Amino acid sequence: MGRVEAGGAAVWKTLRLTFALRNTYRVNSILYALKQIPLIGRLLPETLYGERGLKIFANVVSVFWEIIAAFSGKSIYFLILTGAVFLYPSPDRQGLFLYLMTVCTLIGGFVNTYMFNPSKDKYYALILLRMEAGAYTLVNYGYELGKLFVAYLLFGLLLGGLADLQIWQRLLLPFFAVGVKLFSAASLLRDYKNKGKAPNENKAGALYWLILLLGLSAAFGLPILEIFWPGIISLIIMAGFVLAGAFSLPAILHFPAYRQLYQELFADWMNQMDKKGVSKAAAAARKQSEKAISADAGITSSRKGFEYLNELFIRRHQRILWKASRNIAAVCLLLVLAALAAIPFFPEVGVVINQMTLQFLPYFVFIMYAINRGTSFTQALFMNCDNSLLTYAFYKKPGDLLKLFRIRLREIIRINLLPAFVIGVGLAVLLFASGGTDAPSHYAVIVVSILCMSIFFSVHYLMIYYLLQPYTVGAELKSGTYRIVMAATYLVCWFLMRVQMPTLIFGGMTIVFCVVYSVIACVAVYRLAPKTFKLRM
Amino acid sequence: MRFVIEHLQKSYETKTVLRDVDFTFESGKIYGLLGRNGAGKTTLFNCLNKDIRTDGGEFRLEVNGEQREVLPDDIGYVLSTPTVPEFLTGREFLKFFMDIHEGTIEDPRPLDVYFDEMNIEPADRDKLMKNYSHGMKNKMQMLINLIARPNILLMDEPLTSLDVVTAEEMKRLLRSLKAGRVTIFSTHLLDLAVDLCDEIVLLSHGQLEAVDKSNLDDQEFKEKIIEALREESHG
Repeated sequence: MGRVEAGGAAVWKTLRLTFALRNTYRVNSILYALKQIPLIGRLLPETLYGERGLKIFANVVSVFWEIIAAFSGKSIYFLILTGAVFLYPSPDRQGLFLYLMTVCTLIGGFVNTYMFNPSKDKYYALILLRMEAGAYTLVNYGYELGKLFVAYLLFGLLLGGLADLQIWQRLLLPFFAVGVKLFSAASLLRDYKNKGKAPNENKAGALYWLILLLGLSAAFGLPILEIFWPGIISLIIMAGFVLAGAFSLPAILHFPAYRQLYQELFADWMNQMDKKGVSKAAAAARKQSEKAISADAGITSSRKGFEYLNELFIRRHQRILWKASRNIAAVCLLLVLAALAAIPFFPEVGVVINQMTLQFLPYFVFIMYAINRGTSFTQALFMNCDNSLLTYAFYKKPGDLLKLFRIRLREIIRINLLPAFVIGVGLAVLLFASGGTDAPSHYAVIVVSILCMSIFFSVHYLMIYYLLQPYTVGAELKSGTYRIVMAATYLVCWFLMRVQMPTLIFGGMTIVFCVVYSVIACVAVYRLAPKTFKLRM
Repeated sequence: MRFVIEHLQKSYETKTVLRDVDFTFESGKIYGLLGRNGAGKTTLFNCLNKDIRTDGGEFRLEVNGEQREVLPDDIGYVLSTPTVPEFLTGREFLKFFMDIHEGTIEDPRPLDVYFDEMNIEPADRDKLMKNYSHGMKNKMQMLINLIARPNILLMDEPLTSLDVVTAEEMKRLLRSLKAGRVTIFSTHLLDLAVDLCDEIVLLSHGQLEAVDKSNLDDQEFKEKIIEALREESHG
């Protein structure tokens, strides 16, 4: 006897419980996030999780969230596929669209099964609350497939016309997508039954990535050479998977061992949850930081005191600091050399480069942002060093704290300056080689402003680390202000990419800004860090 | 020397954790701090170690009849979860500590002497501490906190997760080191508290209160403590 027939009422109850649980979890996350925002968080009472008004508000946000999450990913997916159809040389839009849709949906079907993804809400429902695994899984899975179906139907109907699809072809898409998911889930379940191995799709091996890479290259690479199978083949494959999906359905509905499957998928997670109540993200961050420590026994230092501590830290974290910085510098150098080599052969490259160096300096703010090692540095500093040392009183003496700040600032500035120097000088050389400029001051401004940007980011990250110290003892990132500052940094840099401004003006402004900012930042650290740089309890 | 806490207060929004902590600790004694879950033992330690700000009151050291502010060097704080910088070896950590306390540590000895005292094997001294076991990390943390000979030693559940041999070693060590300093030891293990500590102090209703042993035997004393703690839930 199947579970479905076991009673509509039971299914309905599971559905209700599932959504209630998921919603509670999300509403509390939203309230928690609100509490983390500076100022607003202070206004909210400690009892916020019991406040009716706040809960209603969070519920509304939660519903919107669900809708947006259901459709945003698929809308982008459909836009990419439709856009691709117009970019490729082939005039057969219909055939190409169907080809892309077939290959990508097939990859997606196996990469993201919904079923083999051990997510937090499943953990709560199945492991902590011990809900009936079969009913829970099927209800959840059915809901996910429902969302997929609606999204494919909606975007297929809306955008399919652009790819010359007929209405019946557009209507086939949602059935195909669901069919693929059902087929892949059923075959993985059969695998599990036969071999006893639960494939956790969040911890996939190299083979998985290789297949994913090959699949995507086949999907988007071959059409460049106008190689893809005709539309009719795609339609046959689609129809085949609709059938295969329908035949897979019983295996999924009657699969007897969902609990066992999930217990296995959650095995390492449960281990972790049992330990000290540290969250998964924090535990992963710690593990990653610990891995960054070099075990090379040859690393020593002949210095003393804080310089000794610093030197050992820098040397044992080479991989994420100097080595990374050297690699970036080497890549930048290669790019500069390649551009230099290209100029004599392709005059238009020279024109573009000349214009770039004279108009697009703001763009380089983003590049300098992207290559800065500041956040890796501060994260490792906390996880592997300050996390423990801040529990010792001797480490927190204001004078010593600032002495170590100076040493660290010097160190991170040096690490970041290497690629900055290559980029700055490289740009100046490229400017010269691509026809030069009337105002020789350009060269100096480019080099100096790039170096200033690099110093700015180094100071910026270390300053906010010392002023906000966002981590708890368990390495959990707990500061809303810190998150906001990081997001704002990103947004400002991103917007600057859109700015076009003569290099002399922007460069001059940058230099002044960076110098003023760095001075203010250091003063702020000197004044405030002895009070702010401590463990969060 | 005495460690004097006067009218110390700490609240979180609506919840008052430390209402009015008023107590004087004498040097040379180990104080067992007992309290129910959530009574505020860790909050008290964090306040004394200046990791969190207090809302009122003060704590001072009284040396030869004169009171002065508590300085960072006065306090050693051993946490229940041992924390040591994982990128250093045990020896490097010790050297770093000795470096920055150069001139302030009385009769500094060679590093290996300290390791010997703590029973840390020669083979482990030059290993990265990220590979240390829980007990080894605990020993390192204790060692660092002891060399500086702090006037006040705060210990938050320090022996709970150690194996029996290491725990015995630690107990012996603590007894040998209690002279000349105030040791405050928080624990949930009543037997341990009665066995190791010279005085038992209860943290209840946000206040500190000594439990008088006078002429009770250990068993009667334990019952008295449990009774006192039980009352809190009805208080």
